[in-house]
Amino acid sequence: MSGVHDMGGTPGHGPVVVEAAEPVYHARWEGRVHGMMRRLLMRRVFNLDQFRRAVELIPPARYLASTYYERWLSALETLVRAPGRSAIPRAEHSADAAFRVGDRVLTRASETVGHTRLPRYARGKRGVIESVHGPYRLPDTNAHLVSIDWEPVYTVAFEARELWGSQAAPRDSVRIDLWQSYLERSRR
Amino acid sequence: MSDPDREVADLDGLPRKNGELVFEAPWQGRAFGMAAVLRNERGLEWDAFRGALIETIAREPDAPYYASWLAALERVLLDRDVLTKQEIDRRQAEYRTMERQGVF
Amino acid sequence: MSAGDTHHPEPPSEIEARALALESLLVERGLLTSEAVDEVIRAFEQDIGPMRGARAVARAWVDAAFKQRLLTDAKTAFGEIGITEHQAEELIVVENTPATHNVIVCTLCSCYPWMILGLPPTWYKSAPYRSRVVIEPRSVLLEMGLEVPREVEVRVWDSSAEIRYMVLPRRPAGTDGWSEERLASIVTRDCMVGVAVPVVPAVPVA
Repeated sequence: MSGVHDMGGTPGHGPVVVEAAEPVYHARWEGRVHGMMRRLLMRRVFNLDQFRRAVELIPPARYLASTYYERWLSALETLVRAPGRSAIPRAEHSADAAFRVGDRVLTRASETVGHTRLPRYARGKRGVIESVHGPYRLPDTNAHLVSIDWEPVYTVAFEARELWGSQAAPRDSVRIDLWQSYLERSRR
Repeated sequence: MSDPDREVADLDGLPRKNGELVFEAPWQGRAFGMAAVLRNERGLEWDAFRGALIETIAREPDAPYYASWLAALERVLLDRDVLTKQEIDRRQAEYRTMERQGVF
Repeated sequence: MSAGDTHHPEPPSEIEARALALESLLVERGLLTSEAVDEVIRAFEQDIGPMRGARAVARAWVDAAFKQRLLTDAKTAFGEIGITEHQAEELIVVENTPATHNVIVCTLCSCYPWMILGLPPTWYKSAPYRSRVVIEPRSVLLEMGLEVPREVEVRVWDSSAEIRYMVLPRRPAGTDGWSEERLASIVTRDCMVGVAVPVVPAVPVA
């Protein structure tokens, strides 16, 4: 989904602020939230894809105004109110590798309503398969407890100019790790 | 990192820099290390220590972190009758007058 | 205290004395040893946090065969230097060369190789970094103090899946004959994320 969390390439966020000698937790409660999240994850109350999805569901204005751990707390509140069924067995599928290193691919152009790990800035773009990994569970179905779909994940190299146009430096590139479902063979 | 170490490392509020723990003075490292060793080797319940730490900080929110840590450790040891307040006071006085000297 | 009495130590502060009191009493009770406390401090100061990554970098700089293993099978290579606890994800080390400069981000949330670099800094998790480093990496790096020459390719790695990345920075000039420990000391977390490069200190540390 094109939530505000999907922020690669979006303008208007201002300069990177580096805190000198910053603490890991700015307040004590942040550490508690971190600990709670990890414990609940270990006990399979929810899976990581559900957790990321819950963070992404935070309304945009609140997402941007929240700190990192405030978002985690919101996500935990969501998940606790609507307890997951991640321990219940679901249909499980495995996909064979459709691509090899060197293949030219095109990413999915359409928007998804649910959780996905294809960043918006990389939709409908051409790249080259650089390496093959996995298989890993497809988050798009795992976050919604629909099914468990094991797929290869590919590191795909995109020229910066393919993503951003001529404003980008000609030599630069971006690599993104993408599930097989996000890709099709490119004709050029 | 073993699980006990991860639990200790994840504790709220531990001062860090560049991702690493920061001890501004050797006694802070000693305070940290004592709690960790007692937890790892002597079954000190981490929740009990953490609870004492939170209470201590709540009582004196402006105290330096490791001062609270040391006080919490002492509290937990007193509660379990491992040490008495009198002997800690007496030993502290011996170090203050340099009757006794130690090296960190 | 006489003027020439430079070796006379100061008495410990209240709190130093308190810590000493606790430790000495606990040792006497047989509940811990000072060596055990030393070991915990050493582990947390040196092992947990970016020093794990830094040690691998230093080893790669002095040992070409190790470097190859680090680049092709990072988990096994880290295992060789005693780092065996990893999360289940894959770990890939990417090498800076004269032609390529790598930088890591997670635009979608803030995935980070924390088992080898410690916990991530706030700026890494921030909207400005996540949004800008994919589209204008050179300006972001410049703001953070690093200028990448035009003829060098900047490669941004967006950790969108379960693979975690770490940058192997280039060994700077002026470090010939350095021990691994000394080499590791100039490899900061920022170098292994790709927003800085290792710098040889101008003045040797006394």
